[in-house]
Amino acid sequence: MNKIEAKNVNVFYGEKQALFDINMDIQEKQVTALIGPSGCGKSTFLRCLNRMNDVIDICKVEGEIKINDYNINQKATDVVRLREKIGMVFQKPNPFPKTLYENISYGPEIHGMAQSKDELDQIVEDSLKKAALWNEVKDRLNEPGTGLSGGQQQRLCIARAISVKPEVILMDEPCSALDPIATAQIEELIDELKKEHTIVIVTHSMSQAARVSQQTGFFHLGKLIEVGSTDMIFKNPNQQQTQDYITGRFG
Amino acid sequence: MTEKPHTVKSYEEQLQHLSNDLVIMGGNCELAFSNAIKAICKNDHALADDVINNDTVIDNFETQIEQEVVNLIALRQPMAIDLRETVTALKMSSDLERVGDLAKNIAKRTKLIKKKLPNELTESIERVGLLVQKQLKSVLDSYTNRSPDIAQDVWEKDEQVDDLTNNCMEEVIKYLKSDSENIEYGSHLLFVTKNIERIGDHLTNVAEQVYFLVNGTYLEGDRPKGSQSIVTGEK
Repeated sequence: MNKIEAKNVNVFYGEKQALFDINMDIQEKQVTALIGPSGCGKSTFLRCLNRMNDVIDICKVEGEIKINDYNINQKATDVVRLREKIGMVFQKPNPFPKTLYENISYGPEIHGMAQSKDELDQIVEDSLKKAALWNEVKDRLNEPGTGLSGGQQQRLCIARAISVKPEVILMDEPCSALDPIATAQIEELIDELKKEHTIVIVTHSMSQAARVSQQTGFFHLGKLIEVGSTDMIFKNPNQQQTQDYITGRFG
Repeated sequence: MTEKPHTVKSYEEQLQHLSNDLVIMGGNCELAFSNAIKAICKNDHALADDVINNDTVIDNFETQIEQEVVNLIALRQPMAIDLRETVTALKMSSDLERVGDLAKNIAKRTKLIKKKLPNELTESIERVGLLVQKQLKSVLDSYTNRSPDIAQDVWEKDEQVDDLTNNCMEEVIKYLKSDSENIEYGSHLLFVTKNIERIGDHLTNVAEQVYFLVNGTYLEGDRPKGSQSIVTGEK
């Protein structure tokens, strides 16, 4: 089932067009990987999915992005509610300069998701457990989040993202600053999270895209060249440009 | 799709090396098989010895190709066409190695036959032998030219190999029936005929692999089979 449908999406940064007529369906409770060389528009597209491009003044987005059949580009859209439903994890772990507990509790508190301290404690514990971090931090929840290792910080950011029970999680190169062990932990986590969430991940590692995703889209120079099952894209893509890219034939 | 060279030259060279090794291995199989057919038909024991001794060259190619494939997978993580090139090379080398073994077995049996065989018998073996040699050449051409059409043609022509094998089997059975003295040599000839037919089967495997290599899809449907097969006992 389609969770997200992008129709004729064009994005401009001032005069410069960054995305050209993107049409893409994203399946519910699956991992969709976006690959392509730097500057191809994959992160721009990712940021369209929770209107993060709104924060860039010169950025203009055209076209429809439907999530659960609702066009999020409508003026009436409450972007705060939208970003509650569509969480995001960035390239560099960016925990708040607060305690581990507060890093997780902040979102549920401002969205009024907990009626009592007990409920909030429970959300914090559940989120950290889902992010496979609970056992490592349960005895030091009052220490600063910034004191964790890089991999732990990234899992903390994932825990923070899932604490508000988003339907979709957007990940923008979530492992690029991590070592192979932390990367494997995040990939294992992505496998678990897809049972309850739809995940869209931008990655420069093609082997990571192949490992974690079920659907892959290849972007080049602002165009979606090809999208299909990950299996097909990495074994027998339809487009020459896709094949050239994934096999390392860069012209 | 026509492929541009890889950005990383050493990767390009490794894939090219793998492909070249397969072509040379195939050439060795062609030589082994054509010599094996000549040896059995002319009862040429010296040529049979050549085939037997040269089989290690083919075996060594298989080992080398296997190592190259393992290295490529471990160090390059090939994708798409490169992955198909790599996996196909592994499977093709294994089929070609069997072709070498079967040719060697024909040569070994040749050495156990101590007299000239009747002409109609050797002509029959030569007929199916030549067809399979042509098939071998074509399937190697299909690989070199990355031609799925030639590969499919080889795959379809195996039906003719089946038919000529049946004719050959009939000749051997006639030879066996004609004199109880012929039982020893006749038995060897049954195996020789079967070996030739088996080589044909390996070539259809290679044809399927070449087709997959180029198209990324499998040849569909059942391979056409020859009529009633004495070889398999099918009616």
